[in-house]
Amino acid sequence: MAILTIDHLTINHEDTILVNQVNFSIAEGEWLALVGESGSGKSITASSIGGILPKELKIVSGRISFNGADLSNMTEKEYRRIRGKEISYVFQDYQGAFTPFIKLGNQIDELLKTHTTLSKKERKKAALSILKDVNLFDERIYNSYPFQLSGGQLQRAAIAMAVVLKPKLLIADEPTTALDSMSASRVLGLIAKLKQQMGCAVLFITHDLRHVKKYANQVAIMKQGKVVEQGSKESIFENPQHDYTKQLFAAIPPLRETPSRLFMISENPA
Amino acid sequence: MKQLFKRIIELIIFLFFLSFVSFALMKLAPGDPTRYMLDVIDVQTTEEQIEELREELGFNDSIYVQYWNWLLRFVQLDLGESYMTKKPVFDELWSRFPSTLAITFASLVVMTLVAVPIGTISAIYKDRWIDHIGRVLSLIGAAVPSFWLGLLFIEFFSIKLDWLPSMGKGTFSHMMLPSITLGLAMSAVYIRLLRSSLLETLGQDFIRSARARGLSNSRIFIFHAFRYSLIPVITIFGVSLGSLLGGTVVIEVLFAYPGIGKFVVDAIGKRDYPIIQGYILFMGGFVIIINLLVDLSYRYLNPEIRLKEADRQ
Amino acid sequence: MIVVRPNNVTKNIKRPQFKLFGMIVLLGLIIILTLVAPLIAPYDPTEVQLTERLKPMSSENLLGTDHMGRDILSRILVGAQTTVGTSILVIVLALSIGLPVGLISGYIGGALDRFFMRIVDALLAFPDFIIAIVLSGLLGPGMFNLVLALVVVKWVSYARLVRSTVISENQKEYIAVAKINGLSSIKILSKHMIPHVVGNLVVYASLDLGKVILVIASLSYIGLGAQPPTPEWGAMLNEGRNFFHNAPQLMYIPGIAIMLVVLILNLLGDLLRDRLDVKNK
Repeated sequence: MAILTIDHLTINHEDTILVNQVNFSIAEGEWLALVGESGSGKSITASSIGGILPKELKIVSGRISFNGADLSNMTEKEYRRIRGKEISYVFQDYQGAFTPFIKLGNQIDELLKTHTTLSKKERKKAALSILKDVNLFDERIYNSYPFQLSGGQLQRAAIAMAVVLKPKLLIADEPTTALDSMSASRVLGLIAKLKQQMGCAVLFITHDLRHVKKYANQVAIMKQGKVVEQGSKESIFENPQHDYTKQLFAAIPPLRETPSRLFMISENPA
Repeated sequence: MKQLFKRIIELIIFLFFLSFVSFALMKLAPGDPTRYMLDVIDVQTTEEQIEELREELGFNDSIYVQYWNWLLRFVQLDLGESYMTKKPVFDELWSRFPSTLAITFASLVVMTLVAVPIGTISAIYKDRWIDHIGRVLSLIGAAVPSFWLGLLFIEFFSIKLDWLPSMGKGTFSHMMLPSITLGLAMSAVYIRLLRSSLLETLGQDFIRSARARGLSNSRIFIFHAFRYSLIPVITIFGVSLGSLLGGTVVIEVLFAYPGIGKFVVDAIGKRDYPIIQGYILFMGGFVIIINLLVDLSYRYLNPEIRLKEADRQ
Repeated sequence: MIVVRPNNVTKNIKRPQFKLFGMIVLLGLIIILTLVAPLIAPYDPTEVQLTERLKPMSSENLLGTDHMGRDILSRILVGAQTTVGTSILVIVLALSIGLPVGLISGYIGGALDRFFMRIVDALLAFPDFIIAIVLSGLLGPGMFNLVLALVVVKWVSYARLVRSTVISENQKEYIAVAKINGLSSIKILSKHMIPHVVGNLVVYASLDLGKVILVIASLSYIGLGAQPPTPEWGAMLNEGRNFFHNAPQLMYIPGIAIMLVVLILNLLGDLLRDRLDVKNK
């Protein structure tokens, strides 16, 4: 059953169409990769799902239904109950994941307090346990300010915060773009592991087809506000239909050969 | 702490520098102060009397000896005697200091009460009519001289309506007009500052993240945006102390409010140099204290600074 | 991030330019009025005529007369020379000290830079308004001493602004290229540095001019600036204070004059800042 269905979604900025009649859906526990170059409308689509579009952007038509409910008709208050609890986000900019001058632990605590009725003690226990799940087990991290952590640590803490309430849908908006490749693969490995544990669906926004190939089940390709092609990963990778998809595949370095060459170098440290 | 200590040392060195400059200027200043002193007492003066007084005050010693003696007395808080009142300068200034402090504080309260709500509302309702009104008011406010605003208030509230006293001190109502005048005059700048700072903060990614976590708008605003936005406001406040301290001088004169500022302007008119010197040093002390408070609030708002300093030690 | 492409870019750019033009015209008008004030003033601004005291607005005296029978319009016009003229003088003098000091300090650096910056820091440690009050007090009340005092406190911020611009430009590649090509220091400073510095200075000076006008008027009001009978807007308010009730024009007109000029300068400064894209510090 689809956890999220987007139906003919169109988003405008004044008279400019940024997202044009977009359709796709994500089934429970599925990992959908939304692929496209910057400016293709994929981040805006992602923002619209949680109702966190910038004020200037307006949904002019279409429906977003989540878990059987129509999100576009919700009041702000009802929306807030879902946002952060059932739909959660991890953004590209890890610096912006946390408010600078509030301790990490307090920010996680604030989230738990907003969405649950747990006691203070239980909240701290939940926070520490989820931090442990993302390999930040120190109580020191809980008492740290965001600026005291490295980029990779921050992004992992952001993931911890996104999954602590066991959401049904995790939206990861280019979560690795700002990280070095080591941290990036660790972050994606974590998301994959946590997805397994919690059974949530993932909407993964990226332009890196190597990550898509490794983690996704479903793929949707976006260009200039439109979804030009979608389907299972296998069908899209093996038999791309749209010209733009073919161009995308042609633009990346050969997927098999690059890693093997690197592998050879590292095997012979001369 | 170390940083704070360094700051105080710097300011003390600066006070000495200032004491030297003020001493030198006093010596170079046109006019013979002994003459002014005797004129103040209002008796016929003879050349002998003047010479006698010069000797008594040590004006016939070399300039270095004079400065040294002055400095020795200065570190014992002996700033000499006022020419006008014949009382110790320190006592004269100290007794007026609470009045000035009260009016400074009251003005800050008024300014906060005006600037914070208007700046906040302007930022929240950006480009709506209420924001436009706020912006026009703060533009005009920044162009209105504080003393003219005070004159208008006196004309309207004291003379026409007879609600509030226009001069003197003593009761709460005496402080109303002076502090409202100065507070309003200063708030124009801070309305603009707070508005633009809030707008910048609200556009930050961490605000979007807080929204994505489902926090309520009021919670995001109060706990996440507002505190962050205060940092540049406090910084500007620290570097523009002049508008506050200078403002109190003008306001005290305007409302004949017997504080330090009014006293020093009277002293300037009478060439009462010991008072003027004492005033510089007093203000130096006042600036140190306010700077300390600004530093402390800055540290409270921005733990990054606090922790970086702790690392260095 | 979300890329937003507004389609009304042209509309947004044209309007500030129109406003900017308007403000420059207004400022030009004020400067011209200030310059020719003695020629167009209908009466002698200091001529006392006790029989004509406190006249309301009329065709003879457009803005009425003050407590000594002097024509207020003439005093406002000629007073602009004191208030606005002196403020411009302060800025020009402060610039002519601050610009070379900042250029040299920033470009040469080293011990000379440290020395200049010590002075700058020392002066900035103390509120400038207080220094101005005390200096003009010690030197004696009067316009000349007030200008001196204000220049002493004002040049510092210009020196610092110029210095920081020079230092940030000096790190850019095109200056390195110019140096490799053997351009002399004077040429580098005059051809490459000054144009960058000027934008910042113009914005800062136009905002600062408004502040200086307010300070001069305030200090004149408390008796430390212009002395009677010199017409000056702040001093006029001081002199006329006892007569406001009988002749409200004595209170309204000088205040409105100050407010309008400062308002125009502030608007101009804001528009210039947007136009020249100078960072607000």
